[in-house]
Amino acid sequence: MTDLTLDGVTYRYARGGTLALDGIDLHVAAGERVALIGQNGSGKTTLVRHLNGLLRPTSGRVLHDGGDVASRTVAQLARAVGLAFQDPDRQIFAGSVASEVEFGPRNLGVRGGDLRTAVDDALAEVGLEAEARTNPYDLGASRRKLLALASVQAMATPVLVLDEPTTGQDLRGVEVVTRVIERAHAAGRTVIAISHDMGFVAASFDRVVVLGAGQVLLDGPPASVFAEPAWEMLRSTYLEPPLPAIIGARLGLGATPTDASLLAALTSAPGG
Amino acid sequence: MLTALAVILPALAGRILGRLLRTALLLTLPIAVSVLVVNLFFFPAGREILFQVGPIRATAEGLGFALETLARIGAISGAITLFYLTTPPSELVLDLEHRGISPRVAFVALASVQTIPALVERASTITAAQRARGLDTEGSVWRRLRGVLPLAGPVLLGSITEVEERTMALEARGFTRPGRRTLLWWPPDSSHQRLARWLLVLAVPLLVVARALGWLGWLG
Amino acid sequence: MLTLESVTYRYAGAPHPSLHEVSLQLHDGEVLGLVGASEAGKTTLCLVASGLAPRTVGGTLTGRLLLNGEDAAALPMHELAGRIGIAFASPATQLSGVAATVYEEVAFGPMNLGVPRPELIARTEEALAALRIEALADRDPARLSGGQQQLVAIAGLLALRPAHLVLDEPTAQLDPAGTAMVATALAALAANGASILIAEQKTGLLAGICTRVVALEAGRAVLDGVAAEILADPRLTRLGVAPPAAVRLRRQAGESNLPAAVLARLDEGLEAER
Repeated sequence: MTDLTLDGVTYRYARGGTLALDGIDLHVAAGERVALIGQNGSGKTTLVRHLNGLLRPTSGRVLHDGGDVASRTVAQLARAVGLAFQDPDRQIFAGSVASEVEFGPRNLGVRGGDLRTAVDDALAEVGLEAEARTNPYDLGASRRKLLALASVQAMATPVLVLDEPTTGQDLRGVEVVTRVIERAHAAGRTVIAISHDMGFVAASFDRVVVLGAGQVLLDGPPASVFAEPAWEMLRSTYLEPPLPAIIGARLGLGATPTDASLLAALTSAPGG
Repeated sequence: MLTALAVILPALAGRILGRLLRTALLLTLPIAVSVLVVNLFFFPAGREILFQVGPIRATAEGLGFALETLARIGAISGAITLFYLTTPPSELVLDLEHRGISPRVAFVALASVQTIPALVERASTITAAQRARGLDTEGSVWRRLRGVLPLAGPVLLGSITEVEERTMALEARGFTRPGRRTLLWWPPDSSHQRLARWLLVLAVPLLVVARALGWLGWLG
Repeated sequence: MLTLESVTYRYAGAPHPSLHEVSLQLHDGEVLGLVGASEAGKTTLCLVASGLAPRTVGGTLTGRLLLNGEDAAALPMHELAGRIGIAFASPATQLSGVAATVYEEVAFGPMNLGVPRPELIARTEEALAALRIEALADRDPARLSGGQQQLVAIAGLLALRPAHLVLDEPTAQLDPAGTAMVATALAALAANGASILIAEQKTGLLAGICTRVVALEAGRAVLDGVAAEILADPRLTRLGVAPPAAVRLRRQAGESNLPAAVLARLDEGLEAER
């Protein structure tokens, strides 16, 4: 299992351009579920692209299990970190759902029976097993997004990184994504997701990292990141805490980032 | 030579002589080298030998012809470069539209310039996505060649689906209405510019006639 | 008023229709929300309501699209363009790609329609003001954020002075800041009497601006009523639609056998937040 560290990472897209990442120090232990939030332009995508070598730091280091990854290629790092992009149409190229999902594990050297199993399992997880022979473009946009997720899932990497997995998804789609994350976590894998959906973030992740202007503004469990003391910081970067957190604060019940925690606080509150 | 003057003087006036010379030079360099080499060594009517490289001879006539050809090429490329450096494509297209070309043709001309950066950006995201799935772009040439389909596929398909959406958006904004459209702005035209254009247009047949009659030979 | 009269629509080459006998009315000054699972037909409905289907998209349509009682089938596309504005989820594909500034981009629609120059300028400035983006007028549209681009796209529609606006998941690709920008702008338009049909997964956003909501399932309109009622309808989850956060919270509370006093406190909190 892989332990990730960003050590003083800065990144500039072009010479003389602004710093997209301005001194990031972040450690993600194996098996954590981390949500990365922040407005567009805050550096979230830039950050995750450093995890698999797509981008190399302008200064600072990226470490996997304590070892600097500077000399390893993206293809090598893809064994450790699977990254699902936000736009499935910038990834899908195969004529059938099954061959699309095959691409990732095949690149990692998986063959024969193992390959078939990896593909079948990934398709089953996202509910596309019946569409194995279908052309991806005959699926709707949201199922194509689930296909892109399955394609990366099938690589069974120790770290799974998802860029806005629930954007454009309906209720079922969000449920599928949530279950994929649960299963990955249960298997000991690290899950890192960029998301704008605060409800999803509060419910499915143990840790929330808030980025703003290339820096880490807040880093902690949902209960503290969405608690009232943090609201000013959140709002300065145009984020809103999830509704249960707001209601809980209004009713003086402390930090209640999820429905469940709010209801629990209500039940046990004195005079309630 | 006349052309060269016609190119250099405005360039001087527009303060772009340096850029002009650099760009024109860059453009003509490949062809200039081949013209020089071919004519210097292989000019059929060459008699006076300048120097010899093994069995190949460089002739003065060849050199003369090469230089003459290069001068012509230089003048032409200078003129083209001058046009390119002084005319923003959008203004050109707007002017043409003002004078009557179809707005849809104008649109295609303008839009084609825009699509290139978008295509480049799209291609780079797609490459990144496929690399993240283990596509090897840093390995052997053979491996990299195998990677073309996973890259070409989304670039082409995505561009096609994007075109569909773009078309709908354009139609929803009245693009298909026949006839002219109202222009917000077009490049201003002064009487001086009109005069200059007429003079230049008249100069062409005059020069042709003059040449045919054997005058001004030294300017050619 | 925009009316869909028993509309059944099938995409070219598709085995089944994507819309089955859908009837709905968008009255002037009304904001109608459209919800449904992915592929339930929301986008198709938006395309039909704007006249793009079957005209530009192909396919077969039975039933009618009526504009103030007049059959839209008789009107050429560019005339429909002046009466119904449609916006899609992806801001980038909606920009014309030929405008150097936001001002030119917003003016693109009326320019195409041959609107005389003084009126063209007036409409453009009005549209920029309506969405409060006058400050962006000189900027290059390609360099704006997604939310800003979406606002420019909507301004471009407003400049057409359409009777109706159709928006297909306009905030899908936007971050919370962009979503808030668009939501505020739409609320302002609605307050000024605009007639809007908006499809969204974000039911919370719809709760804030819609007067009525229609829910689609497999191409059929299965629910149609007052926004607050439909969004609180327990059947929404079965239809694959996530209810607004407040509704979900209240429902969970109701199902957890909490004492009445506790529920009352929760209701207080929710009410205060509205």
